[in-house]
Amino acid sequence: MIAVVVLLVAPLLAGGLSLVVHRSALLHAINLTSMGAIVTAEIVITRTVLSDGSLTALDQLVYLDALSTFILFIIGVVGLACSFYMRPYMDDQVARGVIAPGRLNLFFFLFHMFLLAMVVATIANSVGVQWVAIEATTLATTFLIAFWRRRESLEAGWKYLILCSVGISLALFGVVLLYYSSLHVLSDVSQGLNVTQLLPVADRLNPQVLKLAFIFILVGYGTKVGLVPMHSWLPDAYTEAPAPVVAMLAGVLEVVAAYAILRVRMIVDHAVPFAFAGGLLALLGFASLVTAAFFLLIQHNYKRLFAYSSIEHMGIAMIGFGVGGPLGTFGGLFHLLNHAFAKSMAFFAAGNIHRRFHTVEIGDVQGLAMAQPWTATALMISGLALSALPPFAAFASEVQILTALASQGVPGMGFTGSGGMVTVAVSDHFSRVALASVFLVSAVLSFGGLLYRVTGMVWGTPPEEMVRGEVWTLGHMPILLLAGALVGFSLFLPQPMQQLLEQATAILVIQ
Amino acid sequence: MQGLSSIGSQLVDLCSALLLLTCFAIVAQRRLSACVDLFALQSAFLVITAALVAYLTGNQHIYIAAALTGVIKVIIIPRVLKKVIDRLNVKRELVMYINVPAGLLICGGLVMLAFFIAQPIIPFGFLLTRDALAIALAIVLIGLFTMIARQKAVTQLVGFLVLENGLFLGATAATYGMPLIVELGVFFDVLVATLIAGIYTNRLQDAFDSVDTDRLTVLKE
Repeated sequence: MIAVVVLLVAPLLAGGLSLVVHRSALLHAINLTSMGAIVTAEIVITRTVLSDGSLTALDQLVYLDALSTFILFIIGVVGLACSFYMRPYMDDQVARGVIAPGRLNLFFFLFHMFLLAMVVATIANSVGVQWVAIEATTLATTFLIAFWRRRESLEAGWKYLILCSVGISLALFGVVLLYYSSLHVLSDVSQGLNVTQLLPVADRLNPQVLKLAFIFILVGYGTKVGLVPMHSWLPDAYTEAPAPVVAMLAGVLEVVAAYAILRVRMIVDHAVPFAFAGGLLALLGFASLVTAAFFLLIQHNYKRLFAYSSIEHMGIAMIGFGVGGPLGTFGGLFHLLNHAFAKSMAFFAAGNIHRRFHTVEIGDVQGLAMAQPWTATALMISGLALSALPPFAAFASEVQILTALASQGVPGMGFTGSGGMVTVAVSDHFSRVALASVFLVSAVLSFGGLLYRVTGMVWGTPPEEMVRGEVWTLGHMPILLLAGALVGFSLFLPQPMQQLLEQATAILVIQ
Repeated sequence: MQGLSSIGSQLVDLCSALLLLTCFAIVAQRRLSACVDLFALQSAFLVITAALVAYLTGNQHIYIAAALTGVIKVIIIPRVLKKVIDRLNVKRELVMYINVPAGLLICGGLVMLAFFIAQPIIPFGFLLTRDALAIALAIVLIGLFTMIARQKAVTQLVGFLVLENGLFLGATAATYGMPLIVELGVFFDVLVATLIAGIYTNRLQDAFDSVDTDRLTVLKE
């Protein structure tokens, strides 16, 4: 498969070239070319997967099905948007002397390695290789997060490095256990971690070992997703990292880590009752949703505001996957997509605001509509989309998840016992209503918190000495495109997209 | 054959137990450079364990993993850490959140917890190295505890490396080694992580004049 090779070679080549090239224009050109190649390759792969189903390539090292293709699509779109945004953003930072021109190529090198690691994590057949790639994202992004080298950024970077390394080590223990469970079932253990090897025999794996493996993997990758209670690195890192880096962290890395959890779950669900993994996912999802809703209400720093909104939305998606069924799973996947687009856009806007206002305090930012009309529009659209207001697709996905939750309940949460038929039915009904209410209340709280803060920044009059108006740059184009997609997807889901989502759902829902 | 495997099994158990013992020594140790030496010693035990498993099972690729452990964890990483310690001048007594006796007691509890968790799944392993999985889990938990209980950035790093040793013991002893490509990737990651953390502690020193993670409190809600 040429397309698969392109996916891997493009970022590798671009990273290597970035190390030797020093001219900013050339660095951007390399970056855009590489992203363009990746997106093209993804289109080719999507077409193949849609027509032929899953495929393997490069001597069984690569495995692509509708689910991984869907994640690749998110990586491609957000990555391309980031590349366009970086053009004015990074040049501005260099011009203002925040980055020494000599360090720009280091930034691009790390960025390409980060991208490569995420692509590998998505297309790897082996769960072990996937682990290696996800750990590599931690290593690549540590310096990206601390790129400004201020005390705060160093602190955020250290927290990120330590917490994520520990989390991901726990995930490795889960991978070891998964391998342990496959030893007695597979004849050729040299490929014992390959999804293509594990899936056909998944129902014969030992359920006890798989349960333990899933807990370790959920905690480990959950740290990267930013699920409560493993989330404490996330608000700090999102505040301190450069805007395009955060857009990638929030828009793509979280999604890739969530995908890694889903991939293992696909195997676990065959041997362990569905309620086990589903219940755990929903539990962490609810913890994240409720915690984030409260923190959203008290935030006065707009970057932290969006960081907590990330935790909230990942929580919602996890609830969708936890509840499961065709509706919950579809809603969860669709929510990942909406979150990736809206969140990267929100951080693009945040980056623009920070460059103009030089503050992260919400109270100090006023009159954005006058000072930066384009950015204000972007902030408003992403804010509305993130608070899941009806014209936006996030509303659709949240309603899907809520419907699934209210109709099916969280698996494993219903009271089953010796209470007789009626009691069981009533208590099950009660728990579903209670959970749906918790979901709704948290969603409304975060809706209020987010909207109140965002509108506060947009309206009003900007400070006297502030420059009014905004020059149109290349950096505004991805914002417009993402906004179009966010609104468009709620009205009309393009045929290939719909197909891809349905096939990915079918992979995750085990009959 | 029966006799050989029973002796082999006891040898592997002995080596894993020594690994666990060095964990306790690290928790009890107050001097930073001694902690690094103990880590090197622990890694040496790990090399012996891996070589034993490779010899007893005839899995050639474990030799490669053992050799890599020897080069990276016994030689390179301790040297890097020593250099960092020299530069930072933090050889003095370690500050801990929890005193030594309490720390050792907690570690004892963690070992019991690890055996409790691993008990139901131990019977599915190979006869030769059954108990290694529980010991590996215990080492992982103690590594985690060390990271939480110590303040200096370097000791947190040692804790992380101990944790990795536990994972490696689990992968080698309990499952006879993971596929080689995964092993290589893991080694690469550990090496790079250590280098990055080493560079990072230097930057922390420059910015905060200290590697006490207690000082990292600029960021608040």
